[in-house]
Amino acid sequence: MRMSMAWLVLAVVLLASGALVAAQPAGTLVVGLVAEPVNLDPAQVTDLNSNRVGRRIVETLVTFPDESTQIVPGLAESWTISKDGLKYAFKLRKGITFHDGAPFDADAVKFSIERQIVTEHPFNKLGKYPFANYFFGNVKAVEVVDPLTVEFSLKEPRASFLAVLTAGAASIVSPTAVKKLGVDYPLSPVGTGPFKFASWDRGQRVVLEKNASYWKHPVKVDRVIYRPIVEDQARLTELLTGALDLIVGTPPDFVTQLENNPKITLLKQVGAHVWYLGINNQKKPFDDKRVRQALNYAVNKDAIVRDVLKGTGTLSRGPVLPNTWGADSALKPYPYDPERARKLLAEAGYPSGFSTTLWVPESGSGMQSPVAMSTVIQSNLKAIGVNVTLQTMEWGAYLAKLRTKEQDLFALSWMAGNEDPDMVMYPLLHSSQWTPNGPNRALYKNEKYDELLHQARLTTDQKKRAELYRDAQRILVDDAPWVFVDHEIQTAAHAKRVQGFKLHPSFDLRVETISLK
Amino acid sequence: MRRYLARRLLLLVPVLAGVSVIIFMVLHLAPGDPAEIMLGSQATREDLARLRADLGLNEPLHVQYLHWIGHVARGDLGRSLWMKRAVLGEVLTRFRATLLLTATALVLSTTIGVALGVAAATRPNSLLDRLSAVASLFGASMPSFWLGIVLMVVFALRLGWLPASGMYAPHGGGDLGDLLSHLVLPAVTLAAASVTIVARLTRSAMLDTLGQDYVRTARAKGVSDRAVVLRHGLGNALVPIVTVVGVQAGYLLGGAVLTETVFAWPGVGTLMVQGILARDFPLVQGCVLVVALSFVLVNLGVDLLYAWLDPRIRYE
Repeated sequence: MRMSMAWLVLAVVLLASGALVAAQPAGTLVVGLVAEPVNLDPAQVTDLNSNRVGRRIVETLVTFPDESTQIVPGLAESWTISKDGLKYAFKLRKGITFHDGAPFDADAVKFSIERQIVTEHPFNKLGKYPFANYFFGNVKAVEVVDPLTVEFSLKEPRASFLAVLTAGAASIVSPTAVKKLGVDYPLSPVGTGPFKFASWDRGQRVVLEKNASYWKHPVKVDRVIYRPIVEDQARLTELLTGALDLIVGTPPDFVTQLENNPKITLLKQVGAHVWYLGINNQKKPFDDKRVRQALNYAVNKDAIVRDVLKGTGTLSRGPVLPNTWGADSALKPYPYDPERARKLLAEAGYPSGFSTTLWVPESGSGMQSPVAMSTVIQSNLKAIGVNVTLQTMEWGAYLAKLRTKEQDLFALSWMAGNEDPDMVMYPLLHSSQWTPNGPNRALYKNEKYDELLHQARLTTDQKKRAELYRDAQRILVDDAPWVFVDHEIQTAAHAKRVQGFKLHPSFDLRVETISLK
Repeated sequence: MRRYLARRLLLLVPVLAGVSVIIFMVLHLAPGDPAEIMLGSQATREDLARLRADLGLNEPLHVQYLHWIGHVARGDLGRSLWMKRAVLGEVLTRFRATLLLTATALVLSTTIGVALGVAAATRPNSLLDRLSAVASLFGASMPSFWLGIVLMVVFALRLGWLPASGMYAPHGGGDLGDLLSHLVLPAVTLAAASVTIVARLTRSAMLDTLGQDYVRTARAKGVSDRAVVLRHGLGNALVPIVTVVGVQAGYLLGGAVLTETVFAWPGVGTLMVQGILARDFPLVQGCVLVVALSFVLVNLGVDLLYAWLDPRIRYE
């Protein structure tokens, strides 16, 4: 009893002393993440938070500049593509070393990719590479031509191969570090990036130190500390009290509050993402194009973006990220027109509507506010006589259920490589990708569309590819295999002492551009 | 006594074996597996099949269970699928943080709860008694995540007295004062609901004993009011109080999951949530086993306390 009284007294004294929040030291940036990284090897994770930290440590051969998704040289200074589109040769930058002092060369590139795809590779069994096949299944061989030249041979031409090489899974790791650390490598990775791994207190923080000899530019921040804070209010409070310098993923409800706060800068940027209402194109009544178009006219996407997402989304016209080379800027999103929707339903033989089911995950990567958004969709569809029953599910259960092909309507999103049309239009809507083989869960099939996408894969000229994709997008808008809803506008908020930070469309979190005042 | 203890410790084995079967089945029979979650909406059938084979998920369920439990019996809880760490070390590190939070909350709820209960029982139907009844109702019906957020907004955001989350300041901290300042809000949040339960139970147990003949005799002998209440009253009311405190200890261990999530407390609760969302089977199984073991041990401790508190209770 006396002990606990002493404790209470101590607590009261602490409470009264106040001012416990320490000011940040000059060169240290503290970042609040929505969840803790799983591990730090980008080839062995699929979630955003792990990638956002891990990709500060390792880099790729080709990359994106800080504002856009145009492909530019990274660890490779130049490349050539053979006429048949089957061979990609990269000239590597000279004089770059890994954080452990080992030289960056063609052997390291070969090692980094082969450890994921060659099953008899000695380090293949020491890791699990979820997307190895997805990204590199088409790679036949990686050959070292000379220490600074490496050549990839593909099984069949695929013009999006450069976009593939910008992915986290294509990061170049230090072979000496992987050999030394084995299965523990993902816990203290070694690369060529702007920051070096320093320490990790589980559940509390990951610390990176600056790479003083970074090849690209001087790094102005000495240290970055990442803290996982799941609860939105806690993350926000820590930012407002100065315990955090930067947070990403501001919940929509807090956006206005932050916009009006003079101590905080709020950033917004359209991300490589699409949120859609999937429609089972093979099932009645959705096998009729007019019904699918009616759903597109019926959903008030403006209201969803304005009232549910509080402006953290922009209207979608299709799967491709707007304002990128493959997007068709002439396309118009379906306007909100319930009258027209009712007419189309009547033409299709459903003048008094029908009943259907909408499957919704409670949450999930890139799903924004799935239940609230689906509730608006439900009431919009009711207005044209379509009675929708919402069925909410946990994310893992939901993904399993979608492979049964029993879905009517379903809410889903996609956030990988929307900057190259092939990386999103092919897996999501090509008929060879029908679930359960691939991610085409709308079971959409249009032979003309399939052919255009196939042609585009064989074409290396970007202008010609863009034309083929624009034709294909026009087919999509007319066929309406989904209700196109929105592209997420990602948000970040930071203290005024943070300078020079920009959000990247790929959802990467490039803190190496930051300097602290 | 020694035989009783040995028997109770031996009973741990079937209890934990039962827990292990249940948690294994619940996790493996729930829809969605680690491969599914990891690959997310991008999954192709080929990728799923490859990853499942990699993770050993293609084996029949009983084979997977026997493989796992065989390792557990040898003290090896396996490696987390994605975090790449040995589960045992990971869980034990995180369990320390949970233990600190739970123990603090338990001390808080017991001292405040017993004090309130005694005060209310000695003056039944007084203003204090009624206030404590109202407070109890409030405390019992208030969800802990809501209270946590309210406390955070008031004491961290508005007043700036306490840090909002975490266990230590991200840098510069690490001393005892730093730890205690981070501990206050989550411990108070976690303790809130159980304070009221302990208080109400203490009150009724005290009213019961204070009405006994021996209390009247003690008062008649001229024993001071303080001694009557504390020695004769509270001393004899302790058995039911200890029982409920024991139950509360288990409840707090479980309730810590929510509180830890709200305050980013690096305990086993946040680890378990992360593990469940990723269907990280070995990790979740390890967490549950450790929590179950500690719950059983707390219960055993409570049973042993009875004998010490009430000399009439003997174990054979």
